[in-house]
Amino acid sequence: MDPPAEIEDPRAAANGENNHVSKKPKLSFITELEIRQEFAHHKPGIARINNGSFGSCPASIIAAQKRWQLRFLQQPDDFFFNHLQRKILHSRTIVKDLINADHVDEVSIVDNATTAAAIVLQHVGWAFADGRFQKGDAVVMLHCAFQAVKKSIEAYVTRAGGSVIVVHLPFPVNSNEEIIAEFRKGLARGKANGKKVRLAIIDHITSMPCVVIPARELVKICREEGVERVFVDAAHAIGSIHVDVKEIGADFYVSNLHKWFFCPPSVAFLYCRKSPLSPDLHHPVVSHEYGNGLAIESAWIGTRDYSSQLVVPDVLEFINRFEGGLEGIRKRNHDAVVEMGEMLAKAWGTNLGSPPEMCPSMVMIGLPSRMGVLSDEDALKLRTHLRDHFGLEVPIHFQMPRDGEIRAADGDGCITGYARISHQVYNTLDDYVRLRDAINQLLSDGVACKMLQRE
Amino acid sequence: MASHHSTHGTTHKPEPITLSELRSEFSHHDPTIARLNNGSFGCCPSSIISAQQRHQLLFLRQPDYFYHNTLKPSILKSRRIIQALINADHVDEVSIVDNVTTAAAIVLQNYTWSFFSSSFQPGDAAIILHHSYSAVKKAVQVYISRAGGHVIEVPIPFPVKSDDEIILEFQNALKMAKLNGRKIRLALIDHITSMPSVIIPVKELVKMCRDEGVDRIFVDGAQAIGHVEIDVKDIGADFYTSNLSKWLFCPPSAAFLYCKMSDELSNMHHLVISNEYGNGLAMESGWVGTRDYSAQLVLPEVMEFVSRFEGGIEGIMSSNHEKVMEMADMLSEAWGTELGAPSEMCSSMVMVGMPACLGIKSNEDALKLRTHLRDCFGVEVRMYYRTPIEGEIDPVTGYTTKNLTIGDGS
Repeated sequence: MDPPAEIEDPRAAANGENNHVSKKPKLSFITELEIRQEFAHHKPGIARINNGSFGSCPASIIAAQKRWQLRFLQQPDDFFFNHLQRKILHSRTIVKDLINADHVDEVSIVDNATTAAAIVLQHVGWAFADGRFQKGDAVVMLHCAFQAVKKSIEAYVTRAGGSVIVVHLPFPVNSNEEIIAEFRKGLARGKANGKKVRLAIIDHITSMPCVVIPARELVKICREEGVERVFVDAAHAIGSIHVDVKEIGADFYVSNLHKWFFCPPSVAFLYCRKSPLSPDLHHPVVSHEYGNGLAIESAWIGTRDYSSQLVVPDVLEFINRFEGGLEGIRKRNHDAVVEMGEMLAKAWGTNLGSPPEMCPSMVMIGLPSRMGVLSDEDALKLRTHLRDHFGLEVPIHFQMPRDGEIRAADGDGCITGYARISHQVYNTLDDYVRLRDAINQLLSDGVACKMLQRE
Repeated sequence: MASHHSTHGTTHKPEPITLSELRSEFSHHDPTIARLNNGSFGCCPSSIISAQQRHQLLFLRQPDYFYHNTLKPSILKSRRIIQALINADHVDEVSIVDNVTTAAAIVLQNYTWSFFSSSFQPGDAAIILHHSYSAVKKAVQVYISRAGGHVIEVPIPFPVKSDDEIILEFQNALKMAKLNGRKIRLALIDHITSMPSVIIPVKELVKMCRDEGVDRIFVDGAQAIGHVEIDVKDIGADFYTSNLSKWLFCPPSAAFLYCKMSDELSNMHHLVISNEYGNGLAMESGWVGTRDYSAQLVLPEVMEFVSRFEGGIEGIMSSNHEKVMEMADMLSEAWGTELGAPSEMCSSMVMVGMPACLGIKSNEDALKLRTHLRDCFGVEVRMYYRTPIEGEIDPVTGYTTKNLTIGDGS
């Protein structure tokens, strides 16, 4: 039987502080051996330096999830009537406190950021379709927005007659100021012919290339420029950078809990700021709870396996086994990944894609120009080759030089390829040494991307 | 309907399942509960749970590899099995989604776009059964009524004596619509209604719709697969959906949505848009962002499981039906009540009249009784309140749905 729902202050809890609700006294922090055991199900022999794509889930959380799955299967009616909603509310309450939201009503749990984007964009699409928005009114997105979000804009906005303003951000980048300046310019240009901007979608951490965006400042610029609503896509954020939704000030904010917050696939929260003018969002899958608010609608979208949404309390407990809790994990991941990034950049004679303060628990490192990453296809070929021949899991990014501008170079030419390395608690130095050596091996064998086999 | 001949090429014949193995497959069910409600949430044998966990672990072990190399072919394998089970022509016609609620939203959203793009006119209609599932009715309200469509509800008699009663009501509704000059864009017909539960003569109703010029027909067969025979070509609808986790032993949750090949199919999209947008609904449904797709991947193991029963899935279906009728007759005799429908209109679920002295006079009463039976008697069974028709004398207003599936020893 699960313990009663103790609603504590999870911010304190997540930082490893004791609070007044009695808990088992912490005798010691999680050991290296225990961490290895928690991630023993990861395929051995693979240097898994891509936590950013699909995240990771410790064995004790997988076990907790199985317990929930079994509870449902044992007596589904009882689970549905008496337990499910209560447990989802518990998870939502924990999230609300973690992100500093005012009301738990503002916090919905959905499958992933892709679903959250569909929820927000379907609303926009309908507003165009039924005439609340005029044809030609615009939605703003970043050029490097996640592919799924771009497609969602096409499916719901362009299809309904909305227009899209694309803002390019520089990469590699040297400071927040560069991003802020570019965004301001891009937004003003896009609005030049008097377009009404209905929604801006801003990444908090762009995916590829990976950079921490000064979201708070960009939200402010949006407000100044009369953008009606702002949606921050922070898929990577929770568990890798500090998240305070009130401080950021957006209307909508989404982050995946299965990337950096140790939840099993998949679960995300969508925060929707409450205000007299806030629109009524609905889940596109309509069920019995339609009309009771997005959070309640999302908690029942037909018979599903909701178990990944129920383990958030267990995850908090897991996090507290680490020194400094979530804050401690974040800091150590960040420091480690920057250290590894600098090690690789030095070994290859290349650069980091952004300064350390703009890196979360991931870093973009320039690949030697001799690798010849000259297209998205090259990047994918190299990624596959590293997986198949070196047991390395690391995504590769092709950075198209913009307007002929050369922003990074090594002794042999322009740097157009970047590896995105992640660091999570299970990673070791050896993972990154293997990457270093693999690239060096390819180079000394005279192998460049154009010689690699297609998949 | 293909039964125990799986399409994935295994040639060995699995061991027939023994009674003790059967009990063991469902030993995770709460042993203190008489579980007579398979229709709501279905059930999943232990060996399928294990299979699901193996798939889950494959992803967790090396998710990038799984995503790039394993997921798509595994989903395709499941889709081919479903294609064979339902007699669809092309595997492209078969998409796997979370549940019927999602399938309904996918089909209905398509209609909203049509209203907004003015290919439909305000007042064009959709026709549904009065006893359609409440979540689906809500979806119709959201996606059709709000876009300016008109919704016609066909009253279905209950208790019901024959298919003809249903056919007549549906015919009348179509006639009325015609008289009022309404163009019917979509007919949404249940294959087996949920509450009260009755098998609807879908083939006849589909034909009637075609004859009357209804644009498209969508059959909600949520309860159907593993429960009654499904031949989508024979039924002839444009869309057909059913939950795999109710009567086909899949874990929660997975369902298929069949969309007959047509020009319109390329305009149908999943609600959650991702990289596969534009590659066809089946491909779009196969990637809706990072998710646990394992419930969709166990079809091969499920086919192996059902082949261990005499007569395979057909044997299970007919055995369930026989047993539930026997039990229903036993109950109605003991209580001095009637069944809600004749045997040929019952599946593995039967509506049994409750004694009038129980005084079930509202939906709240039905729910109270259901809760009481669960909490005080350890019996899980659905209760239905039937509003008496005006002028009805001594109405039977309470019905219980007795469900039966294999392993039910009660």
